[in-house]
Amino acid sequence: MRPQTNRLPPTTGKGLAGAHIDRTRPIRFTINGRVTPGFQGDTVLSALLAAGVDTIGTHAGQPLGLRPSAAPAIAYAAKASAPEHALPMERTPARDGAEYRIIAEGPTPGLLARLFQPGRTLGLTLDAGNSLVRPWRSLRGQLAEATDLIVVGGGVAGMAAALAGARAGLKVTLIEASPHLGGHSGLFGTQDGESTPEENVAALTVEIAATQTITVLTHAEVFAIGEGMVRAHQLDVSGERVESQVTDLPARHIVLATGAFERLPVLPGNRLPGIVGAQDAFELSYRYGIWPGHSWLLATSGNPAYRLATLLAESGIALDRILDGRDQASSRYIEFCKAYGIRQFPGTIPLAITPGTGGRLSVELPHGEPVSVDRLVLCGGWQPDLTLWHLAGGESRWNARRERLEPIGEVGGLVLAGSAAGHFTRRGCVTSGIHAVDRLLGRPGQGVDDPVIDAIYETPDRQMHVADSGDATTLTYLDTDNTLMLRPAPPPRRRWTHIFRGAQTGPVRVLSEAPQPLSIGAICAGVGIGLIPPGSAGVVAQERVALVPLARAEPPHPPLARDVATVPAYLADRFGTDAVVATLRHDPSRQLDSGALIFEGEDMLDPRRAVGVVLRTREGKTEALVAASVRNVVVRDLGQAIPADVET
Amino acid sequence: MSEPQLDFAVFGSSALAGLVAGLLASRHKRHVVMVGDAQARYRLPRTLDISVAPITRPETWALLKASLPDTSKLITKIGGRQALRRIDPIFFADGLAAREALGHFSHMARAHGMILETVPPAKIGTDRAALRINDAVTIHRPSFEPALETWLAELGIRRFAPETATMAPGGATLIKTDDEALVARRAILVDDSAIFRCLPGWQWPAQLLRRQHATILTASSRHLAGPIMTQLDSGITLVQHEEGGMAAMGPGNLSAFSGELGILLADAGQLQQVGQVGYETLITNDGAPLLGPVAADGPLILTGLGSIGAFLAPVLARWLAGEASQDEAEWCEARRADKRGLGRAVAEFNFRMDEQAA
Repeated sequence: MRPQTNRLPPTTGKGLAGAHIDRTRPIRFTINGRVTPGFQGDTVLSALLAAGVDTIGTHAGQPLGLRPSAAPAIAYAAKASAPEHALPMERTPARDGAEYRIIAEGPTPGLLARLFQPGRTLGLTLDAGNSLVRPWRSLRGQLAEATDLIVVGGGVAGMAAALAGARAGLKVTLIEASPHLGGHSGLFGTQDGESTPEENVAALTVEIAATQTITVLTHAEVFAIGEGMVRAHQLDVSGERVESQVTDLPARHIVLATGAFERLPVLPGNRLPGIVGAQDAFELSYRYGIWPGHSWLLATSGNPAYRLATLLAESGIALDRILDGRDQASSRYIEFCKAYGIRQFPGTIPLAITPGTGGRLSVELPHGEPVSVDRLVLCGGWQPDLTLWHLAGGESRWNARRERLEPIGEVGGLVLAGSAAGHFTRRGCVTSGIHAVDRLLGRPGQGVDDPVIDAIYETPDRQMHVADSGDATTLTYLDTDNTLMLRPAPPPRRRWTHIFRGAQTGPVRVLSEAPQPLSIGAICAGVGIGLIPPGSAGVVAQERVALVPLARAEPPHPPLARDVATVPAYLADRFGTDAVVATLRHDPSRQLDSGALIFEGEDMLDPRRAVGVVLRTREGKTEALVAASVRNVVVRDLGQAIPADVET
Repeated sequence: MSEPQLDFAVFGSSALAGLVAGLLASRHKRHVVMVGDAQARYRLPRTLDISVAPITRPETWALLKASLPDTSKLITKIGGRQALRRIDPIFFADGLAAREALGHFSHMARAHGMILETVPPAKIGTDRAALRINDAVTIHRPSFEPALETWLAELGIRRFAPETATMAPGGATLIKTDDEALVARRAILVDDSAIFRCLPGWQWPAQLLRRQHATILTASSRHLAGPIMTQLDSGITLVQHEEGGMAAMGPGNLSAFSGELGILLADAGQLQQVGQVGYETLITNDGAPLLGPVAADGPLILTGLGSIGAFLAPVLARWLAGEASQDEAEWCEARRADKRGLGRAVAEFNFRMDEQAA
């Protein structure tokens, strides 16, 4: 059993000791036979990461990091074959004594391989088209009782919306994918005059718990949406074993408070084990007290990542340096980092990341020697999560100034709130949650108060990407999700030696044919590296979302029951306006095929000189459409000439 | 309006639009511009360019057969060998009417030298008639489109955004940008989106109908019996992608089409949609192409050509330039747009025309 090498000491300050785990209650479970320790409060994923397992396996021959947005599904060992029992390891609470199996398409490690698995990896080979499959997405939902308002997302915006709905007399269901309410506001800190995110979330949580008309579903991820309905994969964590089900939840109104996600900078090696986003790094440490290694490097193009550096400044984990893709960024957190004496390199981004010695990462920089660290935090700024918005038919548009997709237009019965709606501050998210309910109910309300600090003091986020050099040795991914979409390779140079090569394989070259959905993150990356024109990004995002139809339409008419016209419309006037439907008298041993052409002479073959055509055989008689006054003919059917007489 | 500096403004982004524009400029020495966004390698396909279709008119087969070598040579000259792929598409039918149509189509195809094979039920399903057409060709969009743009640029054909173009009486087009104003003597509307955008209602030909259409991209790991399969009953076309997914295109709104696709591919299990788009297309009420000027002084349109349009580009360019042969001119003239919708005897098979047109 591996010790919990990546767990921060319980005395770690600044709230990074693991708010959701109980260190007095150790647990252990097995996954694919590997014994893994943890604490009560861990998810299966957090326990694995704490124990130093940070690699899913290999993809295209290179190691791929394990992270909350890309982790294989699991199931209890006895039920691993049925999709209805599949569980997401990032949402599933780890239970003492449980035996889990990993579910993934493609080769899975055998018994010996599992027993002798290298320490860091789950050992999967992820080269099947959809390796990190989410089996529950193919299940139909069980219809739940209808409610007045569904709020998707349990961050501060969703919590505020749920409370506003309850105050308006609505029966509310608040759905949150993670085990806890509160969302992602913790990393972003506090503006002047505000309570801390923790205080704010705690107060909202208490108020929701005291409101009887709000039903809270945590561990429930909404993955499909239709008119007046959402489909969620929901875990029941109340019993000894975690059970799951897919539920269709109808509602008159829906608020989407799905938050924003952190973009993956597009550079070679960006999903190697040991690389993490600033948001994930913060939450793993805040919730579960996890921080792998003793040295790290931060490469960012957004301000909140600097706050992570300040939180860890006194933890004893060495921050080598901070690289910032922006030339002259300003932020209060940048100033705090300067005060801590952290080295900062504005206008600098890593060129590539490669696996280094001793399980470390080697970060190649524009100048000087590569830097070797245990962990690299890559922050490419934030993007509103509009996936469900697009699934619901919503539109979006690329905002060139903010370098992100933003929602436009309206969808009936559905409103966006919080950072998903494009708001930046915690106050903006809370007030937009309330305003969303006002909009749904047709009330003017108070509007949204989003006090964004002026760009002079807080430089906006930028995208971070490097040009495709073509000679990088590590893979470049467009997003952190489980589609594993690689940066499309440039068209191969045409050389004469190519004639000796067989079919070429490799990364997808054409986004329009990529057999994966394009996540919003991948589309943002596509805009950044010039694959997708900014003006088309919104349309592409709408087209390439992985839609799950909630209602299956029946075909308008069963094809076999369709009537057959005596003379199909496509034969109109083909043999003159006075053509007639006639019966052909011919050798009865021969059935003539529909479409066989009729000629006046045996030596005629040009279809343009045909004088008729066989329509069908009905009740033993051959019906034909023939030019008027034609009597003795030859039918050409599959190369044979068959004499026939026309009977009108 | 000032004197025209250009002969034609070709509206569209499709392979057909690009080829017609390029041929008018290169072979017929006309001054041409294009209006429309460059075709996108990242958008889901709306159409397919393939050298066979369920054509039921012999004169159309004859024209296509005559034009195909020239078009193929042109496409490979522009985009290299990879721009044109040889494939064996399958056409199949379930219902009686569609089986009859398949029969008419197959006899016509054989009469024009095509080699057809019956697909065994083990591969295609029982109670289903299916034919595989040998040696058809299809334009490989990802390879061809960038090369087409380069070719057009080399010919000096500039591309303008749709917002810059204004239709004028007499079928002319005014293109106005911040830097310049150009006048093209005649507009040629090729893509459906261009016709929707530019053709005023009072010039709308009676034969031209709107139809809901959809494209769905799936991540199905199952391989189709053929690289391209078309069901004559529904008009659904399935395209196997090299990358492993499958695209389906067909009539109906997105929701209905998704349901119908699920039924058609029920054997493949649950389909995972990884992309989808609904849009409007144009069909004609008799299934035949609609060519030439609309109304007395409207623009020229080239529509209703279906998947074979690009392979008729040299013929269409010759006709537009007034240099077509007698057979070509007769074929095109017989398919002229007619405000009243009368006087055409050129109907072709079309998928569920009666049900889908609105």
